[in-house]
Amino acid sequence: MGIDPIFSDAIIFASLLALLSIGLTLTYLTTRVPNFAHASFATIGVYIALIASQIWGSTPYIAIPIAFVISGIVAVALYTFILKPLIRKGASQAIQMIATLAFDLIVIAVLNIIADYIVNTFQITSREFSLRSYDFEFMGLSFIVFAAPVTVAILAITLHIILRKTKFGIAMRAATENSDLAGTVGINVKLIFGMSWLIGGGIAGIAGALMSLWFQGDPNLGPQLIPSIFAASIVGGFFSIYGAIAGGILVGLTEVLGTRFLAGEFGVWLVAYRPLIPLIFIVVTLLLTPKGLAGINWSKLRRYVART
Amino acid sequence: MSLGPETIFIVDLLAIFAIYVIVNLSLNLEFGYTGIPNFGKVLAVGAGAFVAAAIPGRIFANIAGIEGDYIENNLAIVSEINVWLVDNTGVGFVVFFVTLAIAAGVGGGIGLLTSFPAIRLRGDYLAISLLAFGESIKIIGNNFTPLVGGTLGVQVPDPLSFLPGEFRFLGATIGLILIAAVVYIFSEKMIRSPLGRMLRGVRDNEVAAESLGKDTTQIRIKIIMVSAGLAAIAGALYAFYVGGTIAVAYDRASWTFWPFLMILIGGLANNKGVLIGTLLFVTLRKFIIYFKDSFQEYVPFDVVWLDFLLLGVILLAVLLYRPQGIFIEKPTPTISINGNQSSLKKIFSFFFK
Repeated sequence: MGIDPIFSDAIIFASLLALLSIGLTLTYLTTRVPNFAHASFATIGVYIALIASQIWGSTPYIAIPIAFVISGIVAVALYTFILKPLIRKGASQAIQMIATLAFDLIVIAVLNIIADYIVNTFQITSREFSLRSYDFEFMGLSFIVFAAPVTVAILAITLHIILRKTKFGIAMRAATENSDLAGTVGINVKLIFGMSWLIGGGIAGIAGALMSLWFQGDPNLGPQLIPSIFAASIVGGFFSIYGAIAGGILVGLTEVLGTRFLAGEFGVWLVAYRPLIPLIFIVVTLLLTPKGLAGINWSKLRRYVART
Repeated sequence: MSLGPETIFIVDLLAIFAIYVIVNLSLNLEFGYTGIPNFGKVLAVGAGAFVAAAIPGRIFANIAGIEGDYIENNLAIVSEINVWLVDNTGVGFVVFFVTLAIAAGVGGGIGLLTSFPAIRLRGDYLAISLLAFGESIKIIGNNFTPLVGGTLGVQVPDPLSFLPGEFRFLGATIGLILIAAVVYIFSEKMIRSPLGRMLRGVRDNEVAAESLGKDTTQIRIKIIMVSAGLAAIAGALYAFYVGGTIAVAYDRASWTFWPFLMILIGGLANNKGVLIGTLLFVTLRKFIIYFKDSFQEYVPFDVVWLDFLLLGVILLAVLLYRPQGIFIEKPTPTISINGNQSSLKKIFSFFFK
C-alpha cells in the first residue's frame, strides 16, 4: 500500500500522546500536582524494549507488560516516598512540582547510566537508536501503526469499565473528588492514590515501549516530550480521562500533520519549529477555554451553532 | 608571569558564583518573595545571552570597519574585533554596558510577555505554561541562524582583550563580582522598602493585600519584569565571560532547575541564603568536574550522570528534611528613616544584620 509515512507518524504520535496524557491526568487527579517526571517514565519503557529486543533477542512487544510494571513501580515510589511526605508536611504545590523535577533528573541520570552500561557491556547503540527493524509487517505497514491506536482503545475501554463499573473504580472517583469524605466512609484513600499512580506510570511505560518501535530512543526523550504531553493534557482539561484522549489525539495529529502542511505552504525551514506547536495549543486553550475540551458545554455550543 | 592552577580554579569558581548569584537573586525575588513559580527562568537568561551574542559583535564590526557576514565568518571576524579592541578599550566598555542595558530591556520585554499568563493563572497551570515557554528559547536559538548561529553557536567579542592571557579571567571575575554586589544591594534595598513588605503580603495572602488597596496584578507584572531584566543581564554577562553563545547551553537544567535548587538549599525569601546556597552549589559542582577524571576509571559510565544523581538526591533531601533551607526567613529590618548613619556603615549593614 502506498500510504505516505507521515500518516503512520501522525497516528502513532497521536496515540502515544493520548496514552501519556491519560497517565498524567490519572496522577494529577489524585495529588493535584503536575508530574514533570511523567515523560521519563515513558523513556524507561523505551529502554526495556531495547533490552528485550537487542539483549534477550525477543520481540519488543514483550516489553509492554514489563514496562507497565517497572514504570508503575517507579511512579508509586515517587508518590510514596516523596510526594506523600511532602503533602503531609504541608509543602506548597510549587515545592511538590520542584520535587517531581528533581525526581525527573534522577530518573534521567539513571537512564543515562544504564545507556552507558549497555554500550560498554554489550557494544550496542543505546543512544538515538531505532527498533523499527524488529517490528513485523501487517497489511503492508508496520504492525505498530495498528498496535498503537488499538492499545489506546483497549486501555480507554478498560479504564472506563474500571472507573464506572467496579467497586475499586467508584472508590477511586470518590477519593479524587473529595478525599476527606471518602476517608470517612471507609475508603483507603492512600491505597487508592497509590493504585492511580501505579496505573498512570504503567501506562506511560506502555507508551514508551510502543514508542521505541517507531521513534528514536534516547535517555533524554523526556524533556523533549514534556511540552507536548502537557499541551495534550491542558487541551483535554486535566480532569477528565476522555478529555486527555481527545487532547492527545488533537495535539499529536496537529503537531505532525500541521507541521507538514505548513512546511508545504511556507518552506521546509518551518519543520524545525515543530516543538512550538504545543506552546500555541497551551496559549490558545488557556485563553479560550481554560478548562479544556472537557470544560466546553457541548450541548450549549451545538444549540448556538444551530441558531446561527 | 602567570597564575597558578589553584588560582585559576578559584577565579573561575568566583566568576560562575557571581553570575549565578544574579540569576538566583532575581529568582528569589520572584519565587521566594512574591510566590511566582517561574519554571521558565531560562527564557530570560537565554534572551540576555542571545543579545550579547547578536548585538555587540555587529556594532564592533561596524565601528572597526570589518567586512563580511557576521554569522558565516564569525570566528575570523570576532578574532579581528578582539585584536582591534586591544587598542580601543574605551569603545569596548561603552558597547559592553550598552549591551547590558539592551539585555535588561529585552529581558524586561520578555518579562512582560511572561506576565500575561502569570497574572491570569495560578499554581500549576502557571508553572506548566512558563516551563513550556522556557523550552522555546532553545528551539528558536537552534534554528534561527542570524541570532546565535544555530547549532554551531557564535563567539562573543571580549572587551577585556587588552589584559594578557589569564589576567583576562581575573579582571572579568572582579568585574562580575562587583556587578553581583550591586545587584545584591539593589535587591536588599528593594526587599527592605515598603514594596518588599507588599511583595510578601501578596505572596502570603493575596485577598488581604487586595483588601488593603494594593494592586496585586500590577505588582506581579513589575516584579516579573524586574527579575527577568536582572536574569537577562546575568545571561549577557555569562556570554561575555565564556566568550561565546550556543543555544543548547540554555537548557532547563542549567538555568531553571539549578537556580531553584540553590535558593531552596540556602532558604527561600532570604538573600543571605542565596549567597550561601549558590556558593555551596557552585563549589560542589566545580569539585565534581575537577575530580571527574580520577573517578572515571572506577565506573563503567560517564561520571557526569553521578553529578545529576547526586544533585537530584540533595534537593529531594532538602525538601523532605529541611524545607526551610539553611537560613530561615526572618522579618527583614527596614531601612531607618533618620539618615545619621555613615554611608560606609550603611553598605556594611546590608551584608551583616
